[in-house]
Amino acid sequence: MGNVQMLLRQHVGAPCAAVVKAGDEVKKGTKIAEPTGLGANIFSSVYGKVTEVTEDRIIIEPSAEQPDEFVPIDVPEGASKLDMVKEAGVVGLGGAGFPTGIKLNINLAETPMGELDPEINPELPADFKLDCERGYILINAAECEPGLEHNIRQIEEQCDKVIRGVKYCMEITNADKAIFAIKKKNQKAIKTLQKALENEPAISMHLLPDIYPMGEERAVVRECLGVNLTTMQLPSAAKSVVVNLETAAKVAEAVDEKKPCITKNLTVRGKLNGGNGAHVFMDVPVGTSVGELIERAGGIDGKYGEIVMGGAFTGKSTDFDAPITKTTGGILVTVEFPDLHGANVGLLVCACGGNEERMREICEKMNGKVVSVARCKQAIENKPGAPLKCLRPGNCPGQVKNNMQFKKDKCEYIIIGNCSDCSNTVMASGPKMGLKVFHQTDHVMRSVGHALYRTLKVSKQVSQDIDF
Amino acid sequence: MSITAETAKAHAHDPAVLCCRAEAGITIEPANLEDPAIFDDLVDSGLLNLDGCLTIEEVLGAKLTKTCDSLAPLTADVLEGVKAPSAPAAASEEAAEAAPAPTAAAPAAPAVVPAAGGMLKIHIGEGKDIDLQIPVGALGGGEAVVAEAPAAVVAAAGAAAPAAEQEPKLIRSLTRKHFNITDVKRGPETKIDGTTIYIREGIEKECIDSQKLVYDLKIEIIKPEDYHTYSETIMDVQPIATKEGESEIGSGVTRVLDGVVMMVTGTDANGVQIGEFGSSEGYLDENIMWGRPGAPEKGEIFIKTQVTVKEGTNMERPGPLAAHSATDIITQEIRECLKKLDESLVVSTEQFDQYRRPGKKKVVIVKEIMGQGAMHDNLILPVEPVGVLGAKPNVDLGNVPVAVSPLEVLDGCIHALTCIGPASKEMSRHYWREPLVLEALHDEEIDLCGVVFVGSPQINAEKFYVSKRVGQLCEMLDVDGAFVTTEGFGNNHIDFASHHEQIGMRGIPVVGMSFCAVQGALVVGNKYMTHMVDNNKSESGIENEVLACNTLCPEDAVRAVQMLKNAMGGEDVKAAEKKWNPNVKSSNVEAIESVTGKGLNLVENEQSLPMSKKRKEKYD
Repeated sequence: MGNVQMLLRQHVGAPCAAVVKAGDEVKKGTKIAEPTGLGANIFSSVYGKVTEVTEDRIIIEPSAEQPDEFVPIDVPEGASKLDMVKEAGVVGLGGAGFPTGIKLNINLAETPMGELDPEINPELPADFKLDCERGYILINAAECEPGLEHNIRQIEEQCDKVIRGVKYCMEITNADKAIFAIKKKNQKAIKTLQKALENEPAISMHLLPDIYPMGEERAVVRECLGVNLTTMQLPSAAKSVVVNLETAAKVAEAVDEKKPCITKNLTVRGKLNGGNGAHVFMDVPVGTSVGELIERAGGIDGKYGEIVMGGAFTGKSTDFDAPITKTTGGILVTVEFPDLHGANVGLLVCACGGNEERMREICEKMNGKVVSVARCKQAIENKPGAPLKCLRPGNCPGQVKNNMQFKKDKCEYIIIGNCSDCSNTVMASGPKMGLKVFHQTDHVMRSVGHALYRTLKVSKQVSQDIDF
Repeated sequence: MSITAETAKAHAHDPAVLCCRAEAGITIEPANLEDPAIFDDLVDSGLLNLDGCLTIEEVLGAKLTKTCDSLAPLTADVLEGVKAPSAPAAASEEAAEAAPAPTAAAPAAPAVVPAAGGMLKIHIGEGKDIDLQIPVGALGGGEAVVAEAPAAVVAAAGAAAPAAEQEPKLIRSLTRKHFNITDVKRGPETKIDGTTIYIREGIEKECIDSQKLVYDLKIEIIKPEDYHTYSETIMDVQPIATKEGESEIGSGVTRVLDGVVMMVTGTDANGVQIGEFGSSEGYLDENIMWGRPGAPEKGEIFIKTQVTVKEGTNMERPGPLAAHSATDIITQEIRECLKKLDESLVVSTEQFDQYRRPGKKKVVIVKEIMGQGAMHDNLILPVEPVGVLGAKPNVDLGNVPVAVSPLEVLDGCIHALTCIGPASKEMSRHYWREPLVLEALHDEEIDLCGVVFVGSPQINAEKFYVSKRVGQLCEMLDVDGAFVTTEGFGNNHIDFASHHEQIGMRGIPVVGMSFCAVQGALVVGNKYMTHMVDNNKSESGIENEVLACNTLCPEDAVRAVQMLKNAMGGEDVKAAEKKWNPNVKSSNVEAIESVTGKGLNLVENEQSLPMSKKRKEKYD
């Protein structure tokens, strides 16, 4: 096993400060860094020796022996569940990385319903009321990034632990209900859940269509509760807290086992020896290098385009030496990029896909020349420089005007980063206008054997019956 | 792009097209619909076919029965619960029955004026108060403006608020005494003898010596029989006028010579024309649009200087200023003689009275003048009408708004150094005969409180600096409406648009006037640019380098005043057509004529001139 690199920033907020120094011996679960502001504790994921502490990471040389035992989190006798979650350094493992101890520190029973914007909630009756007494835990089991499978695998294999975690979250936040938001296509996981929830009247399922994005926090709220939140509103405006199912499982581990958050489940997939099926690795020590995981999955099959850390939509390009963090969900090795030979390219930037920088990177890798950049009308920048958020995730606001801009700016190709619905809209006019359309996920989709994002062939509505 | 409820309301009668794929069973909301503003382009390019398409008001709230893709026009066969269409369809029927013109004696009689292609709204007033609103299409606006493009409406007389009758208040008067000139000759001394001007031989040297940058100056006297003479680009046309006694610009008595104008022309020492976007050099009779407010009248004698300025200074402020200042030495000598002329030689007297009209809608005219530097400058408020002495260049004033009285405008308070496109630039003489100022001054239904000149600076930050001052000024003035005019096109449209915004955001209706048509299509726009009058006269909607062809004329002033009255009355204006359509102007003019009962004689355009070689090759 190669050196483990623990990044000091694995979460939303400020980087942590190291509390170990070079030469220190560490065990699994030894606390090595603490928050300096918003953040979460970081623990060593291996037995070994700290070799270096740099500005942004702690490098640990792992010992040859790696027993399963770990140092339990240091909480006083009778500590609250919330304190255990905080101490364990749990963050949103779905990718956002918001410290869970802070997210769960809310009493939903006393949280008033936020003001709903009528412009984006035209069908909501004036006397709308949520169907709960105190509030909801919404479990994000959408696993929306195409090609990833570790979330659904966890439901299939560790359903009880996940449900325990959900119940702890409900207890901590004083929620009286919980809903699993899961895509209907995951039939086995749904059956497993259905069985596990037989005697859990407070916990239900909401089935999602197989389109992107369904896992966006506000999309989960909308799908489960029928409420559209503005880009500035948090789920608490709908008396809810949204947690990823893997995060819920980590909450259970923190409470039941006093286990710190030191491992991550992830999917390695793409242009690998042995085919493009998903390699799901459970409980990978945080800090493991991308290269090591690719090797575990069989190694890269010949030439490749790039390695994406995270999902095809929201992930970033990475390299072999980069370490995984608490929020890494995927390592995707892609096929080579097409060569556009310097042709004029327009970028359609949106909240659902990569930011403009990422889109430009992809264009450069395709040897295109960016001559026009448009932004989806619904992609809202809450603060200058803040990541874009979609006003109505998964519901297109129309794109033809952007295509007209691209045409006017003499684009031959366009690269879009849109959701299923918006991509469909782009396709309704783009090709007819003579624009050749690429999606920023194309190279990943080809690599994992997933259909390209172009026209939408499935309904945005699915029946809630478990009819399979 | 999807639209808001507000946009849906504004476009209630426009076609309803899905912006995105929508599934069977949904209820149609504004968010499902594409913005009608872009349909023309889509139809043009074959992406959209609106046959059988229902209107937005018909489909809102209806249920979609079939899953349809993006850009699908909504037709009756895919909807359930379509609403019945409202007003406009019915209006065309009523329009068909020709009705009597509005008469005061016919209470509640429907008054109908057919309008070509437009929709017709009919308002039936009570008793004497019958007014009409006839949206008949749009003006100006090219591809760059799409949504915000200009438009026009015509209202009947009586749009101004019928507040309690208050007496108009005379503020001041200006008298113009006209002297006739029938000949201009050279002689040993400058003098006016009867109706003949003599210009001192050798005065050229003094003109040249007065300005370091002037290398040469020639005087040519162009009489009507000499109109087919080659000339360098015409930099300015100026009245020869002087103040009598102690009177100042804008009041008292002004003496002016009829039948003769000063004309400044020139190049730099390398022979480069002093002009930016185009120049009017060539045979005079092929390059002057006779009779425009800023141009000579056919039959007038031109005292034409041909100035050569230092090489390269044609595009720097001091060069053109030197040419104008050198020419003014001649004008000044003539002015001195004019001051001494015997009263018996006065052939006619004109009086301009400036009234304030309390109780009427208060309006201001904001005239954007060029101030980008180079040859884009204007001298403001000289001592003599269109003189040089005593004036401040607006560039040196920082282009900030300067308030003047309407009479100061008509008395030559602007000495225009501007050399933008010849067809749209406002010569010094333009201000002397400014049609909008005259129209607004004489309209008893509005209270013209004054004229504001604001320079158009070169850089955007300065443009917004000055436009914000304009907005503040209008706020302080508490006006009910404003005109914003500009000359040229392109760069200056940025501040032109910003003036609209700054005034409009204060809740003050604005009517804009500019050359737009095809070549001058607005490069920017905002939601306040809803009322626009296009000054274009050219056949093809272009800057044709024919002097003053596309400047503001009485026919434009009349339309603008009517439009502002409508805007202040809260009447809607039909959105612009996608492409420039000259018919919009003619239908508006027709509508105004029918309502006011007064004929409007439209001015001729370049087609009435002998075809120049340049025009033949470059334009027509």
